[in-house]
Amino acid sequence: MDRKQTVPVRRGFVSCFILASTLTSALAFVFLAHALDVPPLTGRIVDLARVLPSSTVESLTAQLAAHETQSSNQVAVLIVPSLEGEPLEEFSHRVATTWKLGQKGTDNGALLLVAIKERKVRIEVGYGLEGVLTDARSAQIIRNEIVPRFRAGDIPGGVTGGINAIVKTIEGTYQAPEKAGPRQESDVIGQVVVAVIVGLLVGLVFMNIHRLIGPVAGAGISTLLAPWLVPALVASGITLLLLLMIGASGTGGRRSRYSGMDDWVWYSSRGGGWGGGSFGSRGGFSGGGGDFGGGGASGNW
Amino acid sequence: MGRTWWKNALVTVTMISALSVSGCGYNDLQGLDEDTKAAWSEVINQYQRRADLIPNLVATVKGYAAHEKETLEGVVNARAKATGMQVTPEVLKDSAAFEAFQKAQAGLTSALGRLIAIAENYPNLKADQNFRDLQSQLEGTENRITVARKRYIDRVAEYNKMVRFFPTNLTAKLLLHLEERPNFMVADENAVAKPPEVKF
Repeated sequence: MDRKQTVPVRRGFVSCFILASTLTSALAFVFLAHALDVPPLTGRIVDLARVLPSSTVESLTAQLAAHETQSSNQVAVLIVPSLEGEPLEEFSHRVATTWKLGQKGTDNGALLLVAIKERKVRIEVGYGLEGVLTDARSAQIIRNEIVPRFRAGDIPGGVTGGINAIVKTIEGTYQAPEKAGPRQESDVIGQVVVAVIVGLLVGLVFMNIHRLIGPVAGAGISTLLAPWLVPALVASGITLLLLLMIGASGTGGRRSRYSGMDDWVWYSSRGGGWGGGSFGSRGGFSGGGGDFGGGGASGNW
Repeated sequence: MGRTWWKNALVTVTMISALSVSGCGYNDLQGLDEDTKAAWSEVINQYQRRADLIPNLVATVKGYAAHEKETLEGVVNARAKATGMQVTPEVLKDSAAFEAFQKAQAGLTSALGRLIAIAENYPNLKADQNFRDLQSQLEGTENRITVARKRYIDRVAEYNKMVRFFPTNLTAKLLLHLEERPNFMVADENAVAKPPEVKF
């Protein structure tokens, strides 16, 4: 009799669980699908709506590549079929900052964004180009070069006209500075090294009191000095390990016990996320690390 | 095994808990504190930039729509109120002052919205090159304000999290005397206020 009663209950529980997890994953999918993804930077012209003939794409790419070689400015074009409900300025800013157009430090990037379904266009200007490609000039370019052609149904012409005007507006008045040096990622490593050294010194002092207080104190100081969490754990782990080894060398025959600590230190250092991640060269064109403050102009047709 | 194993495990556990309590993000809190102040300065900067555009805008509109006195005066007064407030990084420590600042700027936003709306009724004004340039500058500045606000919101969220999380809250409260910072309610005022869109 017991078995007959429990089977329906269990079945009910399982189906309830399946229903709940399906609903949750469905909701999660809806929630995640809300914001439009930033498309990958496959080149200077990213035409997801496929409105530009390949000859236009080639000539514009050549023009913008030459412009970058001469001035270090990075101008790109993105054409999307639809914004899918996201505000134009928000999406434009997200794309520009994710692609990191322009050189780090000089922020000399610009993005021409066209949304076909919403019939909207925007020029997003990086901090460094705001002086020459002002809001007013961007609005004029949209009004005079792009929108009339778009209204006449000539999307490639509008994009070409817009890019020509953008490049002309920038050229002549903007002086390309020396390219910025490689990113300073060694900053965090330096801090960790300092933390370990100071921790070791403090630990050695405390070691005289007791063999275990030394490592604790030293590791504690290391944690305090290094940036929080992963570098701090790494620094304190290294200090702890070294001090324990120094302590153990007095008694001898205990080395094998600390191999566990070793694994833990290497594991956390592998998981470390302080490396900002180099952008990598995908198709030869990648952002130079530039930033955008929201300058530029929008328009529609 | 026996007693030695147990004793060593206890020592390890004690060490790990000592480590997690001791570090506590002292440097990180200082860094986030500075980041928050920098983000706030940028917000103030952009609001000031907007305020600087207004005299020119009002003068241009007066040239075509002089009798819209109420709206024009509304903008001038709102601007005076917003720029009259002394705003420094210290405002971040006083949530009442922060609120007052937000209100004053929101007042200016709606006054400007009304001004741009009445410009719709004057085709000559709309076609005026100077007015168009000023309008695009104003829109650009409003967008910059939105970006600056969003960045401030992100920074303050990070900072507040560190101030509230255990164990860094101990460092924050006892060592550095850092409190939570106030935050904007919305990143984009304009999206909420919905001023009329001007089409070219």
